[in-house]
Amino acid sequence: MFSLNNHLELRRVTISSLVTCIYLPSIVTVISYKGLLYSVGNASSLYVLVLIFTAELIKSFYLNSNNDLQVKKKASKNRVGDIVKSIVFLLGVKFCFFVGIILFGAPVLEYHEETLILSSLLTLLTVFPLIAHTGVELAVQLLFGVKTFPRDTIIAMLVNNALLTVCGAWLGAVVIPLDWNTPWQQWPIPCYLGAIGGYLLSNVLTVTKVTLMSAANKHPFLSIFVNMMNRLHISK
Amino acid sequence: MLHWVQHRWTSLWLLITALAALCLFLYGFFPLKYHSGKLASMDDLPNVINGVSIDGQEVYNSGENSVILMVIDGLRYDFATEEYMPFTGQLIKNKSACLYVSVAEPPTVTMPRIKAMMTGSVSTFADVALNFGAPAVVGDSVLRVAKARGRRTVMYGDDTWLRLFPGLWTESDGTTSFYVTDYTEVDNNVTRHLDRILTPDEKKKPPFDLLVLHYLGLDHIGHLEGARSPKIKPKLLEMDDVVKKIYNAMQTWDRKGVLLVCGDHGMRDAGGHGGASPAELLVPLVVLTSDGFRCPHEAGAGGTVAQTDVAPSLAWLLGAPPPGDSAGRVLAALLPPDARQHLYLLHVLAERSARLVPATDKEFYKQFERAKAQFAHFLATGQQSAAKIAKEFYEESLEEMAKYLTETTTDFDMFALICATCILYLLAGALLCVTLYSLQPEARRKISIPKLHRSKASSLIAFFVVLLISAFTLLVACFITETKSQFCSFSPLWTIAFIAAAMTITVTYFIIKTTIENTKDLSTLRDLNAIDYLLIIGTLFHSWSFFGTSFIEEEHMTWYFFWNTLMFFILVRTIVVVVMYFAKRWSGATEFQEKPDLENRMSSVGVSIVPQWVLLIALHRYLRTMNQTGDRWLFLPDTADWLNSPENAFYLEAHLVIGSLLTLSICLWNIRFMNNYMQIHSALTILATACVLCHRIATNALVSPFPIIKTWDPVVIVNVFWGLLISQLIFELLTYIGLFKTCGFTLKGDNKFAYSKPKAKTEDYFYDQMEEPWNIDEVKLSLARSLTHIMYNDLMLIVILLMKPHNVIMVPSIYFTCKLTSKCLDHKLLDARKRKDTEILDILSKSLVHLWIGILFFFYQGNSNSLASVDLGAGYVGLREYSAARVAARMGLHAYAAPALAGAQLFCAAAAHAQNWRGYLESVWRVINVFALQRVYQLVIYCVIAILFRHHLFVWTVFSPKLLYDFVATVFSVQALCTICAIVLLTHASSWIAKKLTYKSTL
Repeated sequence: MFSLNNHLELRRVTISSLVTCIYLPSIVTVISYKGLLYSVGNASSLYVLVLIFTAELIKSFYLNSNNDLQVKKKASKNRVGDIVKSIVFLLGVKFCFFVGIILFGAPVLEYHEETLILSSLLTLLTVFPLIAHTGVELAVQLLFGVKTFPRDTIIAMLVNNALLTVCGAWLGAVVIPLDWNTPWQQWPIPCYLGAIGGYLLSNVLTVTKVTLMSAANKHPFLSIFVNMMNRLHISK
Repeated sequence: MLHWVQHRWTSLWLLITALAALCLFLYGFFPLKYHSGKLASMDDLPNVINGVSIDGQEVYNSGENSVILMVIDGLRYDFATEEYMPFTGQLIKNKSACLYVSVAEPPTVTMPRIKAMMTGSVSTFADVALNFGAPAVVGDSVLRVAKARGRRTVMYGDDTWLRLFPGLWTESDGTTSFYVTDYTEVDNNVTRHLDRILTPDEKKKPPFDLLVLHYLGLDHIGHLEGARSPKIKPKLLEMDDVVKKIYNAMQTWDRKGVLLVCGDHGMRDAGGHGGASPAELLVPLVVLTSDGFRCPHEAGAGGTVAQTDVAPSLAWLLGAPPPGDSAGRVLAALLPPDARQHLYLLHVLAERSARLVPATDKEFYKQFERAKAQFAHFLATGQQSAAKIAKEFYEESLEEMAKYLTETTTDFDMFALICATCILYLLAGALLCVTLYSLQPEARRKISIPKLHRSKASSLIAFFVVLLISAFTLLVACFITETKSQFCSFSPLWTIAFIAAAMTITVTYFIIKTTIENTKDLSTLRDLNAIDYLLIIGTLFHSWSFFGTSFIEEEHMTWYFFWNTLMFFILVRTIVVVVMYFAKRWSGATEFQEKPDLENRMSSVGVSIVPQWVLLIALHRYLRTMNQTGDRWLFLPDTADWLNSPENAFYLEAHLVIGSLLTLSICLWNIRFMNNYMQIHSALTILATACVLCHRIATNALVSPFPIIKTWDPVVIVNVFWGLLISQLIFELLTYIGLFKTCGFTLKGDNKFAYSKPKAKTEDYFYDQMEEPWNIDEVKLSLARSLTHIMYNDLMLIVILLMKPHNVIMVPSIYFTCKLTSKCLDHKLLDARKRKDTEILDILSKSLVHLWIGILFFFYQGNSNSLASVDLGAGYVGLREYSAARVAARMGLHAYAAPALAGAQLFCAAAAHAQNWRGYLESVWRVINVFALQRVYQLVIYCVIAILFRHHLFVWTVFSPKLLYDFVATVFSVQALCTICAIVLLTHASSWIAKKLTYKSTL
């Protein structure tokens, strides 16, 4: 059904998604057991971001390992320049997120710290893996839809992750105006958890899809589900 | 029946029918107060209690009292403290007066509250709608029983009292309550009588038995400036002085004087009232008497009482029986110390309530029976313990009965409700069909005319058969359900309604049938893009969100969320388009074929669309902070509060001036679409804007370097303003007809309005006599274009006249939002695929997005689904005295300014972009269909919700106000669509007149 190269890539996709499905819920579980779940918006929760950053970095090393073998020399030449460029780009994206979140309704004069943390999280979950995998130029092209990408590749997974993360954060805002008066309706907890939830959901979907695809080899009737999931992905 | 469907105004008629169905629904939902019609008299007082006789009249007698009821409009609970009213606070502190928390029932508006205080019965929600009319009370009231007992009743203050209880006053002087901008004169009008009326005569008796003083000033300050206004404190001090004056005067009387000071309702921090927040519901009730009164409660503060308790208390003090429908109790502080009288009083009230409660098997009824037995026992033996037990039992049963009565006063007319909802449902179905039909491309609709022409007679017969069937079904439904509904009462008036309902069902049946038969090609709908789907799904989903009460209270949140999503989608789309454009341009000629297409897409908007759009998002972010609305976060300070504080007056004026000038420039820009005499139009528009600014200066909203303007009369300025607008319209019509040309005036300009013969080159036009040689349709189109733009300009100018100063900025914002959004929603720009015909889809998405913009700004402006947010102040701009219709029109236009402006903008765009007269009519037809469909869809869903939640706790505080808002919105939709209809009719009419008068003669 798919070529060897595709097969290898699929395996990478699956494993990295699985890792996400494990490490992200564990982080959330641990902080909720520590009773810190409702303080995720504060700057004191920076360690969560550091953890996610490390995990994503390791994941991207894993995802890039093959690419490194092929284009080793070219990559090592301007490594430092690349890193500086990506850091600047990431900061820019973070600022864009910050301004965007405020424009779309976050408090203007207060809660800057919380908004900043949320925008860092969004940057970490959406753009950072993409940059780590492809580099700045390609990431920009991918983000703006100039360059298209085939289905069931690492890039497709990353773009889907990014989309669903933003959607999750977006949907998280729905609960804020409800009059339930619960502690977790504080800004930005629903959006923060929504972003994590969206990211997680995207990874779960990827794993499910790959599982179904491999199962469909044996049981052809399962391919209906695969087609269904393909439809679900936002068609460009 | 196809011509019905193709008829341009079918959906307007359907919408009007929906309005009628909604009226039926409201009738079923808000039953008008059912008066028992029982008039109380002294002979009703029981003389026998469980076989023990007692002289009722003698025991009931409270002695000679002069009662003063001082109502301070909008006095809320925290105002009756020592801080605001030092004298009263002092009295309460040393227990010379009693302070109660009296709980007003929603709706917290003046007229129902007065009714409740005087009749002692809980008023219904429908009273709000009648609040402005104030028809006389039909049932029994304190004033009627007092009059029957020959008491002298005197009234000074709000003339609502006089309208509610005409002919029951011995002396009165009313002041109009609706003129809210005045808050000193209204109170002076009351106070000036005090010295005279309080002076006792030679027998040291005051010349009245009941004196009602109603002070309006406090409420007016609240409406104008809110509960935190610096004017509140002096006003309350003034009220405190009045209390002091009365208190001192009472000491000189030889008679017992009783003073009740209370508010009729509270006020929100923002100043409005009408809802059900504690600040509106809880009002203080201060009781004091002149004869060495000691408050029986701790620290002078009694517990919570109902507002209806005022009625029996007053009646008893006046020596009159409690009014027929009263269900309240006598205030504890006033109850006599004598056990016999005390118990007798309780007995009278309990018996009264027990008679109103039909259920005799309830626990409180048994409690009442037991109390009665104990009372009889006390009367027979004089045992104090029996008296104590009886008192306890009476009080318990009274409390329970009062609770029961307030809970069960409403019964819904279920048959009418369900009937109205079904009709609305059918209407929504018919409108959906008509809308889908209208979304077919024109060519296809032409094909689908059926070949089989039925004769007129046969379709008439079919119509009557269906009519009979539906009438019969309704009739059977009436009898099967055995309903007591008025709808099935078959009195002449209701029979008409009944037949109308059957007719509506028939007509909708035929419309649905015909459209389903003729709707063949909906392929246009296959091309909807993601943003269209967002618009449609958002509109559909929004109605369903009302199942949660907080989504009604915080409806603005839903809209802000939708709007943000839409802006985000469009932002991403536009960025993608622009980036692709640059990428393609820089990557060179490799994709040669795609370039012209992209250039074509970009040419209409330009690259600047992205920064413009970002600026728009920022503007909306700012406007969202302008007015805090809804319910839960209402108390948060917003930009409007900041602007309205005195030290920021400069910024407020800047908002006002910038808003007005931007509106002026938009109006001048729109003049392009008017007739050839642009100079005159520009002059009139500039003068009108100058009038608006002068009005602002004259009402002290704006400082000016010319002090002379301050002395001008605002009413005259506004009259000049109306004159300018009307003359502009008349001038336009006259130019069109060609009157000026025949009079010899000719001005240069392009010939938009000139009749010419495009076919003149075929000199022998004798051959096509049938065909019109003149360019009538072109001129018609330009007249329609010009009329819609005049309408839009006038609307904008009127709205900036009515708006609060900080909200004036909304008017140009609506314009820019509409302009930019319709540019961005263009399917040619956003869709990757190329399509030939996107016109229909453009119209669909544009009408939806204009609806959204309208509702969005409705909330930006500070409106909400609570009656408290209605701005009464706007109703009195340029009026010298109260006139119900004008005030209602102004208030309505102010509240619904944003939907009106957005809709007008859409029709302007439709007229401006139309290629020819037919195309214009087509697009207007489609837009009207979409508007009507959205309105009726929302109504039907909301009616279902209202029926399902009719026993919900919040039904009177959340669901009913929303229903009223929906009703008003429907009325205004009908009105708006009628205006468009009128414009088209006017165009036809003036075209006809022009034909008759001028251009034939200038041949």
